[in-house]
Amino acid sequence: MLSSMAAAGSVKAALQVAEVLEAIVSCCVGPEGRQVLCTKPTGEVLLSRNGGRLLEALHLEHPIARMIVDCVSSHLKKTGDGAKTFIIFLCHLLRGLHAITDREKDPLMCENIQTQGRHWKNCSRWKFISQALLTFQTQILDGIMDQYLSRHFLSIFSSAKERTLCRSSLELLLEAYFCGRVGRNNHKFISQLMCDYFFKCMTCKSGIGVFELVDDHFVELNVGVTGLPVSDSRIIAGLVLQKDFSVYRPADGDMRMVIVTETIQPLFSTSGSEFILNSEAQFQTSQFWIMEKTKAIMKHLHSQNVKLLISSVKQPDLVIYYAGVNGISVVECLSSEEVSLIRRIIGLSPFVPPQAFSQCEIPNTALVKFCKPLILRSKRYVHLGLISTCAFIPHSIVLCGPVQGLIEQHEDALHGALKMLRQLFKDLDLNYMTQTNDQNGTSSLFIYKNSGESYQAPDPGNGLIQRPYQDTVVENKDALEKTQTYLKVHSNLVIPDVELETYIPYSTPTLTPTDTFQTVETLTCLSLERNRLTDYYEPLLKNNSTAYSTRGNRIEISYENLQVTNITRKGSMLPVSCKLPNMGTSQSYLSSSMPAGCVLPVGGNFEILLHYYLLNYAKKCHQSEETMVSMIIANALLGIPKVLYKSKTGKYSFPHTYIRAVHALQTNQPLVSSQTGLESVMGKYQLLTSVLQCLTKILTIDMVITVKRHPQKVHNQDSEDEL
Amino acid sequence: MSRLEAKKPSLCKSEPLTTERVRTTLSVLKRIVTSCYGPSGRLKQLHNGFGGYVCTTSQSSALLSHLLVTHPILKILTTSIQNHVSSFSDCGLFTAILCCNLIENVQRLGLTPTTVIRLNKHLLSLCISYLKSETCGCRIPVDFSSTQILLCLVRSILTSKPACMLTRKETEHVSALILRAFLLTIPENAEGHIILGKSLIVPLKGQRVIDSTVLPGILIEMSEVQLMRLLPIKKSTALKVALFCTTLSGDISDTGEGTVVVSYGVSLENAVLDQLLNLGRQLISDHVDLVLCQKVIHPSLKQFLNMHRIIAIDRIGVTLMEPLTKMTGTQPIGSLGSICPNSYGSVKDVCTAKFGSKHFFHLIPNEATICSLLLCNRNDTAWDELKLTCQTALHVLQLTLKEPWALLGGGCTETHLAAYIRHKTHNDPESILKDDECTQTELQLIAEAFCSALESVVGSLEHDGGDILTDMKYGHLWSVQADSPCVANWPDLLSQCGCGLYNSQEELNWSFLRSTRHPFVPQSCLPHEAVGSASNLILDCLTAKLSGLQVAIETANLILDLSYVIEDKN
Repeated sequence: MLSSMAAAGSVKAALQVAEVLEAIVSCCVGPEGRQVLCTKPTGEVLLSRNGGRLLEALHLEHPIARMIVDCVSSHLKKTGDGAKTFIIFLCHLLRGLHAITDREKDPLMCENIQTQGRHWKNCSRWKFISQALLTFQTQILDGIMDQYLSRHFLSIFSSAKERTLCRSSLELLLEAYFCGRVGRNNHKFISQLMCDYFFKCMTCKSGIGVFELVDDHFVELNVGVTGLPVSDSRIIAGLVLQKDFSVYRPADGDMRMVIVTETIQPLFSTSGSEFILNSEAQFQTSQFWIMEKTKAIMKHLHSQNVKLLISSVKQPDLVIYYAGVNGISVVECLSSEEVSLIRRIIGLSPFVPPQAFSQCEIPNTALVKFCKPLILRSKRYVHLGLISTCAFIPHSIVLCGPVQGLIEQHEDALHGALKMLRQLFKDLDLNYMTQTNDQNGTSSLFIYKNSGESYQAPDPGNGLIQRPYQDTVVENKDALEKTQTYLKVHSNLVIPDVELETYIPYSTPTLTPTDTFQTVETLTCLSLERNRLTDYYEPLLKNNSTAYSTRGNRIEISYENLQVTNITRKGSMLPVSCKLPNMGTSQSYLSSSMPAGCVLPVGGNFEILLHYYLLNYAKKCHQSEETMVSMIIANALLGIPKVLYKSKTGKYSFPHTYIRAVHALQTNQPLVSSQTGLESVMGKYQLLTSVLQCLTKILTIDMVITVKRHPQKVHNQDSEDEL
Repeated sequence: MSRLEAKKPSLCKSEPLTTERVRTTLSVLKRIVTSCYGPSGRLKQLHNGFGGYVCTTSQSSALLSHLLVTHPILKILTTSIQNHVSSFSDCGLFTAILCCNLIENVQRLGLTPTTVIRLNKHLLSLCISYLKSETCGCRIPVDFSSTQILLCLVRSILTSKPACMLTRKETEHVSALILRAFLLTIPENAEGHIILGKSLIVPLKGQRVIDSTVLPGILIEMSEVQLMRLLPIKKSTALKVALFCTTLSGDISDTGEGTVVVSYGVSLENAVLDQLLNLGRQLISDHVDLVLCQKVIHPSLKQFLNMHRIIAIDRIGVTLMEPLTKMTGTQPIGSLGSICPNSYGSVKDVCTAKFGSKHFFHLIPNEATICSLLLCNRNDTAWDELKLTCQTALHVLQLTLKEPWALLGGGCTETHLAAYIRHKTHNDPESILKDDECTQTELQLIAEAFCSALESVVGSLEHDGGDILTDMKYGHLWSVQADSPCVANWPDLLSQCGCGLYNSQEELNWSFLRSTRHPFVPQSCLPHEAVGSASNLILDCLTAKLSGLQVAIETANLILDLSYVIEDKN
């Protein structure tokens, strides 16, 4: 049984949902934010200011809400920050869109409502807006970032070339981060802890790899201790395993360790084999042999100065006994994550007991500085001083707190900070389109230009790439011709097949299923609107396959742009941008990059700056869609500082701050921030793109279909009542 | 097959602290904990409606572990207190009462949580730095060369737990025993890093408390019949001990993942028994006198060992393994084959002992850091309470060894601290506020809430309708009986302050604790002679109280900071 919900309310419904979510997250955003207590179904309690966790804990039922939460989660997984800002920004965007549709009854659209329902008209309208949003995100945003915003960026590095990290900047960055993530009586302490941890673990030359290691194994690198005040948390040199020694023998001097993944004692039979016992004597001899073999192995380990045996499985009593006799400490039953962490740190492969016995050296041993029991609140842990073979210097964090829920919050926040830093330490490639004056007016050619060669200011007087799309809506014969020419211009583009082939292998694997979906959609969006256009379009494609491939390629590139977060992809982009330097005259793709470590002062600086430049940009735009989208985004951006400054009064209130900032920008003076602290530009940029993607997703939905399997109440709008 | 089920939406409530339900549950919890506090605290009887065990207690650890708390906010509060108690044993009720009071007082003010939390934190650090400073007027150094202060410390703990049902004489006896047991765990010739031994508490229920005693070494409980069967050992030198952690019952151990096929007529049992007897022969040839096994010894082996005048005791259990290893210096043997000669240990002597109706096998060590505390009490519930109290006292002594200071008890520390905070916030608010955005008025309000929370903790020491006063010189606590005739003659009505350090013969001014007073500087730096002369002080553990203070305020801050509660209804 199917029942469909009217999609006319798509934006309205989304706005309602987003507003409810906003009400919840805005109470814990920023330095003034408060805690939220979540209970798990198991009865445990968790304290959190992590927007992602809160949203997930709500178990929302509304489909749009669920989609928003999914978008937030995937954004968080990547960046570790910005869930609350995500919701606030999205809510303001939806509000802006909603206001516009209420106010402005589109005169152009009114012409053809006779045949189509109002709802469908609205849907197509949303579709165009979502199109414009996408174009904005893929083609305009990067340009504004690069050409205007970048001059305001500060760097976290004291010297950009060697990338030496400036401690005070990192402190400011982390403090601002933890301000929004942990309780306000602990954020200074926790950020100091993170800062110390960072500097203790990383060597100057350690790169992204260390972040990956710490990120992957963060759970194993910290130990939670309940019942102590938070201020007792500390960093311990070496690795702390949450296990006790099965046998501990103090040792010093040249100490070596081995890792085993199976029992050392030989067994009667292995899996799949059969052991036949014919006599009692045979049994006794085999038992004796097993014993002697175990003894010999342990002796051999002892002779090689092995003082520590780390095992992922439980070892029999016999092994433990002979280990003790030979002065070898044993730690058993380690989880596979712990073992893999140790192996990554010291680069050691597991020890396999030799079949044929010899006195030769055991290959798989590693030196350890120390191994001793560590007692934290009368519980015993194993404390290992590993000698790292990678850039990571092992340190563990002991997190203390009165309740487990608080410790988990701190652990979560530390992990998020790590993700944020990991993103910050990457370069961001900015690729965007810019136009120069062209004589034709209709023929737009695409070129790839290296920003080093030509750095041109965008000229607002020119038709953008969306122009043809826009015009087709108006059912304008001219526009159709324009499109035609436009497409034909493409066909004129002579790109050697070889080059295309070299490009495609790079781009194909980066396309995720959603992207392909959107790609197809952009490709076919023309045809969706007007059948006649499709008729024109298809023969064209048939006739000129070159045009199609070029076009397809372009769209792929634009998707590539929005996903440029991965540093490895940079390599695949560059050859393309170099290969086609002299292709055209009018429109050009620029690629530039934002160096790693770009930061801005906190307190809505990024938002106000982007708002200002977007408004400027919108003024110069001639196209209504583009202007509208820029305006909506610009205004929605201000929503974030508004929330942040909510509790401030007088000179520090939002209107004052805003006017000061705009004045400073107009007179080319440096911006003065009332707050100390820094935030990552990378994080903000990614947040912006994620929100815009989420919004396009919402706008492209025209109908929500609820499938009722069980005879139960439809819950479409109930979740709001619950909140 | 996994079953997918749609999750129910969670319940989200804003501003949880303002709801009536939370307030009432908080005040119920507060009533429960305050009425338990102190030597004259009322006992709580906890029992399950479905029957079973009844617990009579006034201790926070027993109380909170039996209470079933459902509201998430209360859960945060109780778990944080339980976590504190499990790491410091003492000051659980203090923490609970302070936390409840603070939440209640601050709620009444209606200031923003940001301000409250910030100022609470400042006041906390003020308290901590004062209590840790040299000039602190409410802590005394602990002298380990005499037992006096240590006894005071233990006695204070025992008297504050009325559910133990001890008379004055019994309290003295048990305090002395606890102190002896603690001193026995300190190794005699320790250099540098001290590793404390262990006191094992052996239950003897239904006996008089006076019969409790401390013995060096380990007691293993046995039936009389078993004990009779053991032959007395006549030996002048130390006895050689073998301690097995593996089973000696003749089980065939783990044979691997494959299959083992046994031909007809082959008896593995015999083969293993042969092996066991071989082991016995080795033990005999190694001149072992005593064989202890964590698990089961095969009766034939036992018989065999007995025949050769070796005492064999099995089923020791895992809890005794560590103390036994420590005491005898053995290495637990996990092999049925050859035994390394250095894995044997020794004991000085063994004997049998009878306490009450129980029979014990007593291992007497050469060098004792392990001792057994035989604890008697009349009935089960009183014994449980006494056992918990003894563990608390032993733990407090260990903590005091690490940080050799004690705080004045009986409520004097709290009133003194409150007086100090009042004085400090009144006379020197700038040093506290420094760069903050809080105003002086806010500071005064919070400081008043904080100090009155501290003072109401002390106020709950009085359960019999008496009044509580404080003097204007030391800031100590004085209690006066309920139906005292008139206010005129304080020195005659009051004899001693709460901790017993000062008496009323001095020229002092008193005022009621609940009345408003001018802030005054409580006298800091205790005079040495005052500490030396007093033999009957009430003392508290510094480490536990400091942590309790921190946990109480951190938890209160946490709860005050909550803006939403999201309850997962799945």
